[in-house]
Amino acid sequence: MQAALSSRTSQQDTDSPVHCRDIYKSYDGITVLSGVNLDIPTGAVLGLIGRNGAGKSTLIRILLGLSMPGRGEAYVFGERALYMTDASKTRLAFVPQQPDALGWMRIGDMLDFIGTFYPRWDDEYARNTLLRSGLSSDKQLAKLSPGERQRVALIRALAVNPELLVLDEPASALDPVARRELLREIALRAGESGTTVLFSTHIVSDLERVASHVAFLHQGRLLFNTSMDDLKETHIRVHVPAATMQRVEGKLPGELSRRYRHDGSASLVLARLPDTDWPEIARQPDARMDVLGLEDLFVEVTE
Amino acid sequence: MDKELFTIQPAAPEPIYRQIMEQLRRLIASGQVKSGEALPSVREVAGHHAVNPMTVSRAYGLLEAEGLLERQRGKGMVVAATRKRPQSHDQRLDHLEPRLRELARQARELDLPAKQVIDRLRSLIEEDEE
Repeated sequence: MQAALSSRTSQQDTDSPVHCRDIYKSYDGITVLSGVNLDIPTGAVLGLIGRNGAGKSTLIRILLGLSMPGRGEAYVFGERALYMTDASKTRLAFVPQQPDALGWMRIGDMLDFIGTFYPRWDDEYARNTLLRSGLSSDKQLAKLSPGERQRVALIRALAVNPELLVLDEPASALDPVARRELLREIALRAGESGTTVLFSTHIVSDLERVASHVAFLHQGRLLFNTSMDDLKETHIRVHVPAATMQRVEGKLPGELSRRYRHDGSASLVLARLPDTDWPEIARQPDARMDVLGLEDLFVEVTE
Repeated sequence: MDKELFTIQPAAPEPIYRQIMEQLRRLIASGQVKSGEALPSVREVAGHHAVNPMTVSRAYGLLEAEGLLERQRGKGMVVAATRKRPQSHDQRLDHLEPRLRELARQARELDLPAKQVIDRLRSLIEEDEE
């Protein structure tokens, strides 16, 4: 019944495969998401990063219509996520953090079965990748190790040839070789087939390789939501001596974090707009600028 | 030119497209990659290093706009013909200037004598040549 209500009026004027507006969610009175806006352009690889328990999985589930937000609305291919049509569902693939569906089936049977639902299913890819991974198609899913489970789930997701690929902590159970292989696959699919990818991770170096965009989820909000290159080029850490800090009144323009040391000097994280100069305090002769890697930046602003 | 000539450090503060640009600039300046020589395709570089192809094409595109690379039909991206011979030693040293300044600053902060730093640097450079 509800699905019939999701008529044209609820469709949004955007080409983004996924977006959401003003999402709130709480569990047992604890707020997990408070006002999240996200828009993933076609062909982008968005790395969603956050500490354990930051709400990454919750946000992903809401974006895909698997969980109901307290407030706000998510859209997939222009449709309300909660009432997505079957046709849209065949255009996306999702690998949850702990894939455990269809555990009683054997790998080969599961792939055959799943394949029948997807018009763009690539059976050859599924078979070849399975063969290369050294897993027997006769093995029962429930008997696989967590790492093997994840590999099979990824094969299944990629064989769908999805327009939208959503991976929740895809690399957590994979060994370094399998992880690199997955990253390569993600990167090439995005670059060549225009697949839009959303993946969550707490392994920052994975994100730095393949992500074109990055979003930090912290205390229920997205702290950054920008292109990877911009993020690296528009943030800096500055060490400012005590004498200069004494002249500073209130928050500086672009200031994201400030930590005082015992001698009164401070270390600041500053942001600038692309193609503009650093804030004045960073250009003082006694200030010292330090470029920041993504991991440093993440730690500085979430601590 | 081989795709493995690039060294990509994802965790470095410098964005990957800049790392690629700077490395190409240096390799071309020294003549290790010569004019007319074809670059590895975007797909090869992205696949080998597991990085986003858009990052690689951005680096190539920006160097093309600067005139250092040019797109040739059937061959892909090649080093532009205007670069006839390798740059002089002084010109090549200019490429290192910002990093040398940074190194000097850090050496002063650590209160290390110049000789020790230079000796160590020399052994690192020579070690790589072997």
